[in-house]
Amino acid sequence: MNLNRRLRNNSGGINGSNTTRWFFVLPALAIVICLLIYPLMSTLVYSFTNKTMTKTTFKVIGLANYISVLKDPAFFSAFGHSLLWTAGSVLGQVIVGFIGALSLNQVKNKKIQNVFRICAIIPWAFPAIATAMVWKWMLNGIYGFIPTSLVNLGLTNEMLQFLSTSQLVMPTLMFINVWFGAPMILVNVFAALQTIPQDQYEAAQIDGASSRQSFLYITAPHIRTVVGLLVVLRTVWVFNNFDMIYMITAGGPAGASSTMPLYIYDTGWTGMMVGKASAASMLLLMFLILLCVLYFLVIRRWEKED
Amino acid sequence: MKKKKLSPSVCFSYIFLTILSVMCVFPLLWLLVSAFKSSGEMLANPTSFFPREWTLENFKTVLFTLNFTVNIKNSLIVALITTVIATTVSALAAYGIIRFFPKLGDIMTKLLITTYMFPSIMLVIPYAVVMRTIHLTNSRVGLVLVYMSFSVPYAVWMLVGFFKTVPIAIEESGRIDGANRFQVFTTLVLPLVRPGLVSTAIYVFINAWNEFLYALLLISSSSKQTLSVAVKTLEGADILNWGSMMAASAIVVLPSIIFFCLIQNKIAGGLADGAVK
Amino acid sequence: MKKIFSMFLAALLLSTCLTGCGDSDSAGGKNSQTPQQANSSDSGKALKGEITFWHCFTQGVRMEAVQAAADSFMKDNPDVTINIETMSWGDFNTKWKAGITTGDLPDMSIAQNTGEVAEMLNAEMLAPIENVVSAVGADRFSENALADMTKNDTKYGVPYYSHAQVMWYRQDLLENAGLSVPKTWDQFRETAAELTKDGVYGAGVSMSPNDLLCTRYLNYYVRSGGGSLLNDDLTANLTSDLALDGIRFWVDVYQNCSPAETINYTVNDHATMFYQGITAFDFNSGFMISGVAGNREDLLDSISCAPLPVMKEGDPYYSAETTHIPLVIWKNSKHPEICEAFIEYLFKDDNYVEFLSAVPVGMLPSLAGIADLDAYKTNETIVRFSDEAAVITDAVNNGRAIGFEHGPSVQAGLLTSQGIIENMFQDIVTNGTDVAEAAKNAETRLNEIFSTQAE
Repeated sequence: MNLNRRLRNNSGGINGSNTTRWFFVLPALAIVICLLIYPLMSTLVYSFTNKTMTKTTFKVIGLANYISVLKDPAFFSAFGHSLLWTAGSVLGQVIVGFIGALSLNQVKNKKIQNVFRICAIIPWAFPAIATAMVWKWMLNGIYGFIPTSLVNLGLTNEMLQFLSTSQLVMPTLMFINVWFGAPMILVNVFAALQTIPQDQYEAAQIDGASSRQSFLYITAPHIRTVVGLLVVLRTVWVFNNFDMIYMITAGGPAGASSTMPLYIYDTGWTGMMVGKASAASMLLLMFLILLCVLYFLVIRRWEKED
Repeated sequence: MKKKKLSPSVCFSYIFLTILSVMCVFPLLWLLVSAFKSSGEMLANPTSFFPREWTLENFKTVLFTLNFTVNIKNSLIVALITTVIATTVSALAAYGIIRFFPKLGDIMTKLLITTYMFPSIMLVIPYAVVMRTIHLTNSRVGLVLVYMSFSVPYAVWMLVGFFKTVPIAIEESGRIDGANRFQVFTTLVLPLVRPGLVSTAIYVFINAWNEFLYALLLISSSSKQTLSVAVKTLEGADILNWGSMMAASAIVVLPSIIFFCLIQNKIAGGLADGAVK
Repeated sequence: MKKIFSMFLAALLLSTCLTGCGDSDSAGGKNSQTPQQANSSDSGKALKGEITFWHCFTQGVRMEAVQAAADSFMKDNPDVTINIETMSWGDFNTKWKAGITTGDLPDMSIAQNTGEVAEMLNAEMLAPIENVVSAVGADRFSENALADMTKNDTKYGVPYYSHAQVMWYRQDLLENAGLSVPKTWDQFRETAAELTKDGVYGAGVSMSPNDLLCTRYLNYYVRSGGGSLLNDDLTANLTSDLALDGIRFWVDVYQNCSPAETINYTVNDHATMFYQGITAFDFNSGFMISGVAGNREDLLDSISCAPLPVMKEGDPYYSAETTHIPLVIWKNSKHPEICEAFIEYLFKDDNYVEFLSAVPVGMLPSLAGIADLDAYKTNETIVRFSDEAAVITDAVNNGRAIGFEHGPSVQAGLLTSQGIIENMFQDIVTNGTDVAEAAKNAETRLNEIFSTQAE
């Protein structure tokens, strides 16, 4: 009948008239294109010039910026720190967020569930400046609450200098980032868990499945696309995160916590070499695109299995 | 008859959640409590937790002398409008991508993520130039537009994932009943992804509320300035008033939490099993 | 659901209209359409127009004093509007640099120091300020201060207030330990080391690259030896024997007298330590007094200051660093005459004294004659700390900004804004890099930046 014919001439979904289709998609598309194209073009152009922050005129210098960046040891050191920072933070956030969401799902009392959820969301409400202020105070090497407690509890002999020792600074920063970012993962995974129909669990229980099996075969497939997309996004964000590290350690000590965005900031704003910073940004872009392509190949496989 | 089973997984869940909650709440408590301390006290007794005397002077200074009430208003306007527009536009787009442009939509969602691949410190000057060209410098409307740049891609991204969980059967039955595309969207599909909509809205709101760099460089009048920039101005080079800083930070952090409390019960609630007739 | 949706849309459109309407006045730009008055502040001709003034006095009495002056100026000149925008010091630099490309610049502003003025001049952003200088009286300003903001024989900035770096110490701690105020660097190091016990630290050495403390400290040492951080040809000098000695000296002080924490500290964090009573010595201007008064009033009687240590006993007096906070007028301003009139107004005796009393002894007058005015002299803090004020005033009169001993240059400004020297210190302390090697690297990097900036 009518319905069957319509279903047959589709490309995967219920097709509509042209205007309706575009009505749905156009606003977002317009926004993204307008707000994406100009900065992209602008950065690309600047990367081939010697533009500085304080002069409005500039001239094209070809690939000189790219060469200068690729010869700069600070660039590679920042890149390495970025990889460490991103991998550690995202892993930590996903693990804590995931376990948190699953745990929250186990809590049957709605009121208690709400209380926990509100508590969990708190770090997310902190702007970078507040996060930096609070954690710097708590980790302060002279009178900070955390080092003092560690000494009092007998776990360490002397006050640990969390932010001023080059070995401790990255793990500390990652810990703060997990504190900050896990809530978002938690909320989203929890929301995704709610979309799983209860009857599937009940059916599985009737069939005698263990909780581990129901997790693997019901929970995981349902939410892995959502979670997968979230992880991709989170990776890109954490990689590009500037505020947090800048406000806590400004990349110190001696560049031990300097990541790519900080390198770009130092080059473009402090050092005022906009051209060179643009070149570094383009290299960063290329790397992230590569990373995402890899991620998507994995997710595509999952989607095929669904 | 429900029997309360204390299985190990439930036990573990409670312990984990309690530790998590303590770690999350403690910094906030510290912030709040410090805001009630008189300014010198924070430095004089850095290790003590509770104030010797509770005082409201910091809040009064920040809200009235430094006119933070204006900044609160500005932040509210910008964040709320951004949230409403971004969520609406993104919901439409996400649904459209899934139902009407499955192949093209795939490319589009992947394209969206490139908007996050530039650090904002590099984007801010091009955006400022764009705003200047369309005569929206120093305006909250301009700021909202720029905020779309980081809100919409994420929102579309997440909502695509949520919309995919809606079984097509529900929409087909709606079409059989004679509803047009838009009605199917609003009356049948949207309620099912409500948890996703709400969590996306929260994210967009908090990010717009906390955003600093764009607000700093795109708005120049203090009367239009948002809260996060206003807090930063308290960092004087010569004089640093810790009490005001604490009070101001508390004022920035609390609204997001309150907003979340208000809409968080909308997140729970999933697939209504009565939807498919 | 549909009803809620359409309500949403309606509310959204409405609010967009409201904000849009509210903003449409300023969307077209800050400049008014009234015709310009090309003359300076003649009391006979009326001033008309709108200007924007950016400053960084974001809290307390200073902010109120400036606003009060603006309000009464606007009362006297009813066709003038002065929009004051405040921002933190760090953001000020970001904003004007971004403003060069985005067009968001003020009509007049302060600057962080004469070094920043050199940067602004290098970017060709300032308008000459000769009218103000002649109206107020060129001889009333410090010659050094004006010279630091002169390019091609034209003056581009006037000092609004001044301060200088001196050595602050805790009288009580010295007395309890039976020690006297150190006069030389070696004595300073010994005394500070002796006082480092029981929760007190002798002196902090803070190294955040976001700030300039290491450059400042190294400069003290180098100046005391008659040297400079810049060569005569304005290239960086971090590798002379004097400079290397200085670097070793401060690394030593860091390791023996400073909390390890300070490796990440900015000026604010650093000063906070003295306010809290954690450090026994510190180097700062008169702002120390208000800091301690605001946080540990009980310590107020125990603090005092002395001139900076010399290299060896008997060396002549020197002042390593004087800071003048300038007022400048921007080239893009459509009403420079209003800016000039307002700046002259700010310097009028009553307004000026009122402003300076916001941070007494911290902000010293940049004009001659003010210190003798009764209204100024009788300020409680100034009376109480008159000795300290004298020490600092001497230092103000005899010093220049860092690197300005060769005259104003953008290189001098870049010494303190790049964080390279701070990074060098962090490197030496954290990674154990050899001092001479680290200094050479830092010097090369600085020279690289100098050559790209100062064409």
